[in-house]
Amino acid sequence: MSTPGISILDGKYMVTMDLWPQQSKEFNQIHLFYEYLKEGRFTTTKCKDCGSEPFPPRVMCPDCYSVNLEWVDWPTIGTVIDVTEEAVGVPLGFGKPPLVHALVDLDGKKTFFVRIINCKTGELKSGDKVKLAVFDVDPVPQEFGREVVEMPRVFYAFEPVK
Amino acid sequence: MDRNVCVIAGGMSKWGVRDGSQRDFFQEAAKACYDDNPQLNPKEIDGLLVASAYTERTSYQTHLAPLVAEYAGIKPKNICARVELLCASGSSAIILAFAMIKSGQADVVMVAGGEKLYTPQKWEVFYSELASVDHDWDGGQGLGLPPPVFAMVAKQHMAQYGTKKEHLGVVSVKNRRNSAKNPKAQFQTEVTMEEVMSGRMIVPPLTLYDCCPITDGAACIVLAVEEKAKQMTDKPLVYIRGTAQASVNNMSANMPNWTTWEALKIAAQQAYSKSKVDPKEVNVAMTHDCFTISEIIEMEDLGFCKKGEGGFFVADGQNDFGGQVPTNTDGGLLGCGHPFGGTGIRQGMEVTRQLRGDAIQQVPNATIGLTHNLSGFIAAHTVLIYGREVA
Repeated sequence: MSTPGISILDGKYMVTMDLWPQQSKEFNQIHLFYEYLKEGRFTTTKCKDCGSEPFPPRVMCPDCYSVNLEWVDWPTIGTVIDVTEEAVGVPLGFGKPPLVHALVDLDGKKTFFVRIINCKTGELKSGDKVKLAVFDVDPVPQEFGREVVEMPRVFYAFEPVK
Repeated sequence: MDRNVCVIAGGMSKWGVRDGSQRDFFQEAAKACYDDNPQLNPKEIDGLLVASAYTERTSYQTHLAPLVAEYAGIKPKNICARVELLCASGSSAIILAFAMIKSGQADVVMVAGGEKLYTPQKWEVFYSELASVDHDWDGGQGLGLPPPVFAMVAKQHMAQYGTKKEHLGVVSVKNRRNSAKNPKAQFQTEVTMEEVMSGRMIVPPLTLYDCCPITDGAACIVLAVEEKAKQMTDKPLVYIRGTAQASVNNMSANMPNWTTWEALKIAAQQAYSKSKVDPKEVNVAMTHDCFTISEIIEMEDLGFCKKGEGGFFVADGQNDFGGQVPTNTDGGLLGCGHPFGGTGIRQGMEVTRQLRGDAIQQVPNATIGLTHNLSGFIAAHTVLIYGREVA
């Protein structure tokens, strides 16, 4: 791998230029979200004391401040409220325009503004159903002592239910 | 005894796609600020707050405030630190400088803000913008500083309240007309409604002229305790009457309402209350027109018009010269551009000039002025109220 203009960085991993979150247990205490994502599950943490289900997942309940939390599954199918299609200014790493986003009601749990993949321009409209879509992203070359291990990663978007 | 806080000087570099570095622009802004008030001796400045959001990402520089102090030729002895709240960094720094002076921790504080956003390869700034929302959750959805977010806001506002694309256009035409008269602004030309309506599509319904540009530049303002301010300027004193900043969510999934900005309503209410000002008493406003739809919603949630009537309010000329509350009289973000840390300071400068009576385009007899910023994924709102008299 070559990094033009900064030859000393050839082959180096840079967390400050990484699009995706750290997902290993060494770097993220909610790493189970990503483990469940690999199984096609969309999860968050539920507070065992007050019943709150915040998103994103937490290590502390933001409502009653308990750390007594458990993982719960959320729906993986939602309903489109409205759609946007970005024609110009799509950031590197998100494919060719248009970059489609939708405001999605996840069965009353939350309203998510998410990327829609596998979707043509003009295809998606209000009221349509979309489902969770999980895909692989670049692994992180993480140091363990003198060894470097490629740590696999995933991320999610939604896609039309066909 | 109450310590009152005044603005005694302000200046900015030329904003736009600039040749130069971040530190160059801070020097240009400091020079313009010193030139604005020759009675100000920079050696008497005892505090410095620097506002910059992308200094680490696009200039590879942390610990920025002592660097700016060195280049601005000042030696702060009561505070010398950086403040960051992305698009509201500048206003945040003014609030903190105000608090430092009000509480007796400093007497004369410079607030300097700016960015060098254009990098030798332009992709990097869009890429860096993914750090300005919740990187782990919204960034991974490809949402940077996000036209898609404001396109969704516009679509929802249009559906709920009948706001029209032409209403958005009125905001661009007004703010570009104002920036064309402001030599420091990024855009020096007016645009017509026809040009705006046929602009290049960015994210429907937002076209090119609905979106503020990426901008290099800096701005400086100096605040002083009233007793010293009286010795340091012969111009009319402009006081900071009250300030507020509110946040009720960060990640998009936690946004309570896309078309009524709850945190703005809270910040506005707090600022009005502390300032003893009613929205109808505001004579001139600088609001955060990062996108045209933003200015429309801000008219509503700042209480200048009824909810849902923002589009009709701007189309009726009510936030233009001669209307109820002339807004973005120097061109706003749409005309001046938006170097994140500089924007709140530019707004503070323009309100100061309007209240002193020496603005380029003067609102007659303005005595109360307001500035507003939103920041991140519409995740925080900042409101400051200035006046010719204390609250």
